[in-house]
Amino acid sequence: MSSCCSVEKVPEEKKEGLKVVALAGNPNVGKTTIFNALTGLRQHVGNWPGVTVEKKEGIMKYRDKEFLVVDLPGTYSLTANSVDELIARNFILNGNADVIVNVVDASCLMRNLFLTMEIFEMGVKNIVIALNKIDIARKRGVHIDIKKMEKVLGVPVVPTNAKEGEGLEELKRTIASMAEGRITTNPVTPVYEELIEREIEHISSLLRGTPLEEMYNIRWLAIKLLTRDQEVIKLVLDYLGSGKMDEILKHISELEVYYKRSLDIVIANQKYEFIDQLMHQFVTHFGEAKETFSDQIDKFLTHPVYGLLGLLGVFYVLFKFVFTIGAPLQELLDSAFIALGEFVAPFISNEALRGLIVDGIIGGVGSVLSFFPLVFLLFVAMSILEDSGYMARAAVVMEGIMRKFGLPGKSFIPMVLAFGCNVPAIMATRTLDDERDRILTMLINPLVPCSARMVVITFLAGAFFSDHKALVAVGIYAISLFLALLSALILGKFVVKGEESPFIIELPEYSSPSLKVALVHSWERSKEFLRKAGTVILFGSVAIWYLSNYPEPIGNGLSYAEKLGKVFEPFTVLMGLDWKAAVSLIFGIIAKENVVATYGIIYGIGENEEALISLMQNAMTPLQAFVLALVTTLYIPCIATIGAIRAEGGNKWAFVASIYNLLLASVVGIVVYNVGLLLGL
Amino acid sequence: MGKLDDVLELIKNGARSPKEIAERLNLTVEEVEGIIKILESLGYVEKVKMGSSCSSCPLKKICPGSCVVFKGSIYELKKDDHRST
Repeated sequence: MSSCCSVEKVPEEKKEGLKVVALAGNPNVGKTTIFNALTGLRQHVGNWPGVTVEKKEGIMKYRDKEFLVVDLPGTYSLTANSVDELIARNFILNGNADVIVNVVDASCLMRNLFLTMEIFEMGVKNIVIALNKIDIARKRGVHIDIKKMEKVLGVPVVPTNAKEGEGLEELKRTIASMAEGRITTNPVTPVYEELIEREIEHISSLLRGTPLEEMYNIRWLAIKLLTRDQEVIKLVLDYLGSGKMDEILKHISELEVYYKRSLDIVIANQKYEFIDQLMHQFVTHFGEAKETFSDQIDKFLTHPVYGLLGLLGVFYVLFKFVFTIGAPLQELLDSAFIALGEFVAPFISNEALRGLIVDGIIGGVGSVLSFFPLVFLLFVAMSILEDSGYMARAAVVMEGIMRKFGLPGKSFIPMVLAFGCNVPAIMATRTLDDERDRILTMLINPLVPCSARMVVITFLAGAFFSDHKALVAVGIYAISLFLALLSALILGKFVVKGEESPFIIELPEYSSPSLKVALVHSWERSKEFLRKAGTVILFGSVAIWYLSNYPEPIGNGLSYAEKLGKVFEPFTVLMGLDWKAAVSLIFGIIAKENVVATYGIIYGIGENEEALISLMQNAMTPLQAFVLALVTTLYIPCIATIGAIRAEGGNKWAFVASIYNLLLASVVGIVVYNVGLLLGL
Repeated sequence: MGKLDDVLELIKNGARSPKEIAERLNLTVEEVEGIIKILESLGYVEKVKMGSSCSSCPLKKICPGSCVVFKGSIYELKKDDHRST
């Protein structure tokens, strides 16, 4: 037998004389709840033969009889486009079930009855409809006349509210009666336009008299052939031969030319219209459809203008929250590292070793680790926004803007991910099928500030703009995102050209975020920050310490760090940054947090953030600090991100991304610094 | 042209949310979402599997998930729709 019917029949020994009841329905209609209610704890979970799709079976008891209940995979139709659909379809088609319970969501009747009609078309008679979520339908102002529905559909309909256990006894009773053959049904089947019906009849006439007639419903086979169902084509080919099959396919092609599209969508449309007409006979709507709470808020939050203002406002509050609660904790942690350095120093007599451990390791790593509270709180705030459903709205606002800048709209997913870390964000570009979309998104992704760059931004904003630190931080984020969009426009026009692929976004309902979940998620995410501090930043700190102290300690121009910095200083000075900034930026390529750590080590005050801020305030103006924060955000991505781009796009695009970001950061740095000077900042 | 065609056409023409389509076709959002599910089962749109990027990420073992999660669903129009004539 062909693969069309390859799902094994329920083995007789397993049935042990039990009648088999199959539950079919759309996903999330309460099928599993009904399955659990019918079978209680008498369940067995395994896999369908040959596939990794879960198969649930259980025993239902009704009065003195037992029934084997099989939970079929949830599907929206019975085409051959997915394994789930094939399993459900073949199980029904093979006549495995003595009774089929079609679980239908009363609150989304149209969509659910589409599957019902597909089952009816298979010629199935032993079917009962469990009309679930009837309570939700009522709340939405939908009244369903059950008696009329039964009459129109030609099968028994049992209203249920599975969550509350309502209607389940009646359902069991109906199943038992049907299994015993005490219920007669006459399922209605869709009627199509004359041209389609004529072709169904033509194909049916070719199939009549073949062994297929005894195994399957001929009309169903004909309809599936019209939709070019590959499984059915293979099956029928075995019995009809290629000559007749070619004739059928020729007719199908002619109809497709007439309808100017493929027949599966034509038939699906006509089936949908048929259901619509049926529903008018038993469904009435009362009252005006009320706007939900989500709808009302979404009017503002997804609006192109108000939504953007809302987004900026939310991020401002987010940074206010992070700074207000995080800053005292950061100071506390900073003091702890100072105390640790002071405690350890007297125990190490060797000056070089003391310098390495106190200034290099404790100082370098400590200066970054002291930002842990800020990073943790940022993740807490982000988790709350995600859980509440707001981030999806923010993404929609961003998507609308991104589209205007020629960026593939779907690339907002990697863009949102990048706020956490650019590496998984680059990996997420795999969700974009189009090569042009993928490359373009990869190139601009490093311009979205990740949590590592947040450390630098919050440090410099806090040190130089104490009264407006949240505003400055949001400002740098906004400039970076604007430049990402501008870059998309430029790169999309001149470097990576192509067409955008259409898509649609379904927003989740708003929900109350759980603080416990947010804390757990944030801890999971923050652990990466700690791990990084113990590896990449530790390595960077030791390297910076060495370069700053050899061959001579920093200060007289002989250290490797000064020499390295001086090479680049003639360039960085154009944006108001000295050799120390140049060295910091070089080490920032290893990990962006190193920009802060490098300053601590160069100044030789290690973990003492207060002293570091004081020294930096003497050496830099707020304008220079702003430029440094901006350049750190925009210039060459960190090594891990470059590696990710290389892995996903190849050497060429890793090189292009690095050079483009460097050029962009340089131009922006020079422009902002010089404009700032002209404005007297 | 039926409702399924109308929804498909609007997605092709740049409509971005079921709500936008519902307003333009004078349908409920629930009905549009239902139509999208039917179109998905027919193979005309495809749900973007966002989880797959993390599961296939080479940094999976060392990254506890510092990326930001998107809770919505995205359906992409299948480009290689061989059935279009």
